[in-house]
Amino acid sequence: MMILGIIDNAFLSLISSAIPASTVVVLAATGCLLGERVGVLNLGQEGLIGIGAVYAVIAVTSWGVESPWLAFFIGMFAAAIAGLLFAICVVVFKANQVLVGLALALGGIGLSNQLGTNRNGTPIRALFREVNPGGGLKDGGFFEAFFFHDPVVYISYIFLPLVLWFVLFRTRHGMNMRAVGENPAAADAVGVSVLWSRIGYSVLGAAISGAGGAYMVLSFTPTWSPDIARGRGWVALAVVIFAAWRPFRVVAGALLYGSMISLGVTAQARNWGLLFSARDLAFALSMLPFLVTLAAILLPAGAAQFGKRVRSTTAPAALAVPYSREDR
Amino acid sequence: MTTYRLERRLELDARTSALTRVAGAIIAMLVVGLILMLTGRNPFSILMDALDAIFGSQRGMEGVALRAIPILMTALAVALSLRLKIWNIGSDGQFLMGAFAALGIGIHVDGPGWLVLILMALAGSIAGALWILVPALARAYWDVNEIITTLLLNFVAAQLVTWSALGFWRDEGSAVIQSTERVPYTLAGIPGTDSLTIAILAPFLLTGLLFWLFRSTTIGFEIDMIGGNPKAASFAGVNVRRRLVSVMLFTGGIAGLGGMLQLSAPGAQQLGPGFSAQFGLSGFIVAALAGGSMFGVLGGGFFIAAMFFAGIILQTKGLSVFIIFAIYGAILTGVALGEVASRYRLVRAEAAGVVA
Repeated sequence: MMILGIIDNAFLSLISSAIPASTVVVLAATGCLLGERVGVLNLGQEGLIGIGAVYAVIAVTSWGVESPWLAFFIGMFAAAIAGLLFAICVVVFKANQVLVGLALALGGIGLSNQLGTNRNGTPIRALFREVNPGGGLKDGGFFEAFFFHDPVVYISYIFLPLVLWFVLFRTRHGMNMRAVGENPAAADAVGVSVLWSRIGYSVLGAAISGAGGAYMVLSFTPTWSPDIARGRGWVALAVVIFAAWRPFRVVAGALLYGSMISLGVTAQARNWGLLFSARDLAFALSMLPFLVTLAAILLPAGAAQFGKRVRSTTAPAALAVPYSREDR
Repeated sequence: MTTYRLERRLELDARTSALTRVAGAIIAMLVVGLILMLTGRNPFSILMDALDAIFGSQRGMEGVALRAIPILMTALAVALSLRLKIWNIGSDGQFLMGAFAALGIGIHVDGPGWLVLILMALAGSIAGALWILVPALARAYWDVNEIITTLLLNFVAAQLVTWSALGFWRDEGSAVIQSTERVPYTLAGIPGTDSLTIAILAPFLLTGLLFWLFRSTTIGFEIDMIGGNPKAASFAGVNVRRRLVSVMLFTGGIAGLGGMLQLSAPGAQQLGPGFSAQFGLSGFIVAALAGGSMFGVLGGGFFIAAMFFAGIILQTKGLSVFIIFAIYGAILTGVALGEVASRYRLVRAEAAGVVA
């Protein structure tokens, strides 16, 4: 029974640290998903997270913003501007989405690091506070693992995917948007504006990805450090593939990544040295989130080859394909 | 009054598209200069300082050539994959794994220097190829997008190298905490230079080899066929999957060899943080600029290496290294927009009307 107790305890502390660790990825991946559903592949997630984060930090430290929500929206707005520039390049001018996406990743990392140079480690005074549903429940166990997070967590895990799922799969508008991602010529023929829906949703997606960065500095880390995204943007892109472009599966994929991160933290804190010394274990586990993310996109694709659920793993047919009427 | 309008080109020749790409990159850098000017810096004096740092001394030119080696190797890896319309964004990871494997051989094998160096080069190439094996198989057989898979492995490689430098291959005697043991063998130097080794020959030889491959062999022709239209290639009897995997492994091998060459330069000889100063990224920019042309890679490689070197020098003058990333971003955007521009041409409205 004691062993069971230890496992139970470790599992709960794993969950309670995985949830905030995954929130950044949930937001960034949801942002990707929005753009990809209308056929726009934005590889610049790493840069968008950086831009969202650095402008949230600037708002708090230089502009005297005291509300975390306002700083959050400023970060989102900055990322939306970057997303708009991206959309102008790839949707209006029809430039190669892979090239411009990588340009956004590089430019965003460079810009945010440059702007953040003098703000390394500055404490952020406007932080999100945890939602406390009643003091007696904070028992270090089940309730604390699930019910003591800040409001952004609940928005990203429940509200956002729910709204997105409803709009995409239960409304006429959502059907039109999915059509833009699958068959823009057909959508165009029935009077849906491919141009404006692609611009609109990729900009909105960029704002949500930037929200991931803003959340990092306003709650998770909570301070600015260079290269703040540390690969989370790329993981988010992988999570969308794993999730087969569905909102709630994005949450599951991000949690998979987050639990690998917190597995490393927990293992180090509790000194689980089985095969390695504690130091080597930490290094080995630091590779795990990326390896597990890789496996998560390979395995469904592999399973699809053997005849299981082929349909559900395919990308929007017009993903990263520019649309112009004259090519029809 | 004559009016002009844009018209789609029916055929794209390589020269026009190369010219517009380069023009795009130049315009992008002018924009960066303008932004620097608006933020109160003098882009002309920065440019002059950079040119002086590069061409003012033999050390500057050698510094550029030294940095050109890893950049050219990763750029050739990416350029070759681009001929297949494959984006190998993991060349940084393959580069690191090549250096990692070469280091393993270098510190554990005793023997005559030339033999160990050959073994190191083999190990480096094989490790680089193995690092892209899973993304290559997944792309060829399961149709998994290679952009994300190759990129995720970059992070794994970086963690593995950090682990080796702080953990299992750490130099316990060194005062520097984060460095591995040193490889005692280095490549032969080139007479008349301070720091260049025969490694500088490798990208030139490889460029020649690849140029010949595409000009005169069936393999090169098949690669271009797959890049143009994989279905047509398949109908023509090309084993597309096998070709895809073998070429991707080869690109990984090139990047891995680049890692070995970087490691066996005098003065490098060990792994630690900052060993690969994002050479893979620079290589990617070069390949995008060259658009798959092998000789274009040579020109672009030295250009980006010069910028990279100037960036390091300019850090002492109050510019941060992050500016380089921002400039890379601007150049890539310029290249992508230049590519779009090459698809159009300006024609007189009346003339076009007559033809239509």
